[in-house]
Amino acid sequence: MEEIGMAISGPLSKEVITIGTSVEERKLLVRMLRVMYPHSRFPDGPYERTADAVIAAGNTTPGQALTFAAGLRELQAASFGDLDDAAATTYLEGMAGSPFFALVHGRAVVALYNDHEVWELLGYEGPSFDKGGYLNRGFNDLDWLPDPRITELDRG
Amino acid sequence: MATIATDESAVLIIGSGAGGGTMAYELTKAGIPCVMLEAGSHLTHDDYVNDEWEAFTHMAWLDPRTTSGSWQVATDFSGLPAWTVKAVGGTTTHWAGATPRFRDYEFKALSTYGAVEGATLLDWPISLGELAPYYDRAEKAMGSTHRHGRPPLPANNNYKVFANGAERVGYKLYATGPYATNAEPYDGRPGSIQDGFNFQGDKHQSKWSTLVREIPRALETGRLDLRPQSHAVQITHDASGRVDAVLYVDADGNLHRQAAKVVCVAGNSIESARLLLLSASSMFPNGLANSSDQVGRNYMRHLTGSVYARFDKSVHMFRGETMAGIIADEARHDPSRGFVGGYYLETLSLGPAFLSSFIEPGAWGARLTDMMDAYANIAGLWIVGEDMPQTTNRITLSATARDQWDLPVANVHFDDHANDVAMRTYAYKKAEVLYKSVGAIETRRTPPYPSTHNLGTCRMSERPEDGVVDRWGRAHDVPNLFVSDGSVMTTGAAANPTLTIVALAIRQAEYLAEQLKTGNI
Repeated sequence: MEEIGMAISGPLSKEVITIGTSVEERKLLVRMLRVMYPHSRFPDGPYERTADAVIAAGNTTPGQALTFAAGLRELQAASFGDLDDAAATTYLEGMAGSPFFALVHGRAVVALYNDHEVWELLGYEGPSFDKGGYLNRGFNDLDWLPDPRITELDRG
Repeated sequence: MATIATDESAVLIIGSGAGGGTMAYELTKAGIPCVMLEAGSHLTHDDYVNDEWEAFTHMAWLDPRTTSGSWQVATDFSGLPAWTVKAVGGTTTHWAGATPRFRDYEFKALSTYGAVEGATLLDWPISLGELAPYYDRAEKAMGSTHRHGRPPLPANNNYKVFANGAERVGYKLYATGPYATNAEPYDGRPGSIQDGFNFQGDKHQSKWSTLVREIPRALETGRLDLRPQSHAVQITHDASGRVDAVLYVDADGNLHRQAAKVVCVAGNSIESARLLLLSASSMFPNGLANSSDQVGRNYMRHLTGSVYARFDKSVHMFRGETMAGIIADEARHDPSRGFVGGYYLETLSLGPAFLSSFIEPGAWGARLTDMMDAYANIAGLWIVGEDMPQTTNRITLSATARDQWDLPVANVHFDDHANDVAMRTYAYKKAEVLYKSVGAIETRRTPPYPSTHNLGTCRMSERPEDGVVDRWGRAHDVPNLFVSDGSVMTTGAAANPTLTIVALAIRQAEYLAEQLKTGNI
């Protein structure tokens, strides 16, 4: 396969690059995501999976990849990885209107909160139909308020 | 299922949702063969998934659209002005299920409210009294709880917070319905198992939709020719100005033609208006049935907004029927509140996947995670109220953007009216007070989601110059063209529109059947 690919692309290109996949870049991205979505009780797994989703989104077109690469370079230049939480948050606030930030947030907010480990951490139980719904699994187990009326009163 | 030849002039229904699905059943039951064109595919309960984003991707109408105007949806979701469904059963496969009727004064908005600057209010050409018997039939068809002997749904956790708050702030008109999901088996369908996912298609089939009731029954008559993945792109007419056929595109982009003796347009307000505009001809240069220049105008989308409240104890709002909680106390006309018309408060829940995107679009940092961390302790509600019709709130054909068939997409222009803003602000405050009364630590005002209630673009009017269709939904300009969905609504009222769309369709089908029988069409 590689030989065929090289034969077609000839001297113009020997390999395809994917932005954000180096160990340092991915680590930087994971750090950025932790600062953007600071859940102290979340382990690294969800952030790492979200980073991979962002990397995929950042490479969908050459245009996106350029935006993505420029943003990562900016983070590197600012030594973002060395900033403490408060300084990192302030740094991202300054970046919030940029296309890079929009690219990261747009994909990450969906990927992170659609992660099943995150659902479990947040107490969301996910698909219910296969488990018989919540009829016998607590749909009405709230006990810190009285049971309210469910029928209608006349408007009068 | 019937097979109707393409050159046989049939009664042709475009769209299979609340309006189109109901028309198909009522007409075929009355012995009238129909062809139904549905742009989407025939998904059923086995195809649905209990996953918000996955369901959205395969159910939602995602054909490109553009937005303009000062409404926040144009900023937050510029390519997605509306959240409706592209599949057999239309948006009834995604609706939550609340079925309040419109109130008497809401059919007389102009007379009741008086002229409101910037609004194109108008009285409906029909009254509540005229529609009441059809409301009865619609409620029975849909199995509305609290009506005609149907028992109420039980209180779920989100409702317990909502109803206790309602009681503490002095509201009286709260209940778990009316709601078109079976509390117990009814009409051949099971009772609810409180499985949530009301916006993702109902795998259990306890919720009414035209997919589970009207369409299968219409097919059983042997008189319905249902054609999924058949996207209507133009209605044509003969030299006398009567419609004679519909051109539609199949899944592979091939064009087809079906001859028609009557056409009923029920594509939901954005697409219905777009289709009439795409059907312009030398006889109808501004679009079919548009001598009034009202096609596409007076687009309404209901007030909408949400409030989510965080507590220090668990709620698990996602367990159970999503919208089985309604407060009607504010659904009245009382200008002392600073606005005309009224609104409902209704329980609402989103999973983490949607809540994170919608609670405050664009939010990140502690602002977002403080709420998300408390996900299990959050209660939520939706504000749904009457918005003002405005002539400039409008569906037009985009001059630049084209869809997958190389046709101009719909642009949805919307500006909030001052009355809309006043009502939304008032309702936010009321909802916050409600949740604080039961101990909320924090509340958030969530801006409108992409529109689920799309109304008014082909409005019903007594005089032809004021609207597009008459009291029966029959086009003022074209005697054999009907509009059969929520776009006929003269004004939007406060209530969720599905029940009224079904009631209007049952009434229209009865009228159309009579006209066909007596040869008056």
